[in-house]
Amino acid sequence: MNKHLNRILTIFLMLLALIPFYFLSVTAMSSPKWRNILVPQFYLLNFVNAWNKSHLGRAMINSFILTVCTVSLIVLFASTAGYAFAHVKNTFHKIFSNAFLLSMLVPGIINTVPLYVLMRQIHGINTYWAMILLMTTGALPFATFLYTSFIQAMPREIEEAAYVDGCTKFSAFWKITFPLLEPVTSAVVILNAVGIWNNYSMAVFFLQEQSMQTVPLAISRFAQTYGANWNLMAAAALIGMLPPVVVFLSFQKYFIKGIVAGAVKG
Amino acid sequence: MIKKISSNNLHKYMALPAILLFLLFFVYPLSRGIGFSMMKYNGVSAPEFIGLGNFIAFFHDSRAMRDVLNTLQFGFSSAVLLNIFGLTYALIFDGNTFIKRLGRTVVYIPAVISGLIMGYVWLMILSSQTGTYYQILQKIHALWLYKDFLGSMKDAMWLIIIVNVWQYVGMTMTIYLAGLQLIPTEIYEASEIDGANYFQTLFHITIPLLIPSIKINVITNIIGSLVVFDVIVALTNGGPGNATESLSLFIYRNAYGGATGYATAVSIIMFFIILIPVAISLAIINKKQIEMGV
Repeated sequence: MNKHLNRILTIFLMLLALIPFYFLSVTAMSSPKWRNILVPQFYLLNFVNAWNKSHLGRAMINSFILTVCTVSLIVLFASTAGYAFAHVKNTFHKIFSNAFLLSMLVPGIINTVPLYVLMRQIHGINTYWAMILLMTTGALPFATFLYTSFIQAMPREIEEAAYVDGCTKFSAFWKITFPLLEPVTSAVVILNAVGIWNNYSMAVFFLQEQSMQTVPLAISRFAQTYGANWNLMAAAALIGMLPPVVVFLSFQKYFIKGIVAGAVKG
Repeated sequence: MIKKISSNNLHKYMALPAILLFLLFFVYPLSRGIGFSMMKYNGVSAPEFIGLGNFIAFFHDSRAMRDVLNTLQFGFSSAVLLNIFGLTYALIFDGNTFIKRLGRTVVYIPAVISGLIMGYVWLMILSSQTGTYYQILQKIHALWLYKDFLGSMKDAMWLIIIVNVWQYVGMTMTIYLAGLQLIPTEIYEASEIDGANYFQTLFHITIPLLIPSIKINVITNIIGSLVVFDVIVALTNGGPGNATESLSLFIYRNAYGGATGYATAVSIIMFFIILIPVAISLAIINKKQIEMGV
């Protein structure tokens, strides 16, 4: 391709991705009376008002608790399951590792309604613990799969040295193997953290109380109440999108690696 | 399994937590869902067995049929456009210069933001009269160009598709970029010596060698697009009328409207609506892969 054409297209596509954010920022920093759409008024009170009216503070705490706990459980349960599936060959493990793979073909929405009935019966609606367990289960099959294939490719001699030193296989896993799984762990953490933070289609079913709502739920409720006030709405949207964008920009390398690893193995 | 658990064989039970969660929150509800789908059940009072009644009702429900078409329109158009643009983006952003590395990051940013929030951002830009789009046209005296896309039965779905492709094109691009890295540069050198032009090289060398990436992107985009929910909720909430209501929105509304049995039946039908196109496209891609000998 022509060098100049390529340069022009590169810049054009970057602008295409960024322009909506520019308009969003201008709207977020202007009062309703401001008529200029290209230059903001720098009316920053919108952010204060949006923050106070949208309950985004509470929602950020909820999203943070749910994301951190879910991601920790995913890493804990998927790495141990991956180890067992890779090293302990028996029919029981074979059945479940295949069942995990098959379940990845079933999108979450298919199971949501019966899950909703189950959640009501176990009094799991509007609770952290049930939402955490539910989202952990949703992410387990793929994460386990990533761990299993990584562990299978690892040389076994690494652990054997530890057995000689008197470790059981269980303690050798935590002392030797788990730290070596860091590439998979970082991919699993980063991909799931953003997915869980942004989750709306599950949260809208299982977290109905305002005190339990996550960031996407708070934004959608805010939009229903203040939707006509675009300046406040824009300020709320900007605040709500900030955490994943900051995380992405700081851990970009892991992101791309995670997506590619997931795609190639999946 | 019955043997006593001791510290020496603890490692054999390491998969149990994952398996227990899987049984409780996946297998159990799934099997109950199959039962619910054959019941008249509102989630509270005693269910009544009606056999295939819910499934028959689905095919006589004109709103549901409309939603199937909406879902397929969204799913296929998004999957096709995401792949065409994702590959185009990858070809443009392939390379190790500063501007291209920066560009890859920038293009990916929308994909890490919640689809719901991104939907509201576009609603803010496009909504009639007060939106940025309208005001720009007004400023440059070009209001004759204005159209209320989101309020139009015909155009609203296309607009949602475009917003969705805009948001996730970076993800598809990233997988194509990884695929491009795996193609050895010698092949390009050879085709240059043979006098092939850019498009000949693209269609006879690059694309055939990208088939593994194409497979991943097509499958994940079909599955991901057919379950669309957030972006529609934000942009139109299924309207105008039910012109942009998707099957997942339909399931959500029925579940909340007390039609638990019906909503699970629709979920099962939706599973096949997703599975069939995935199986067909897999078969086609695999056949191409064998034909091309890669």
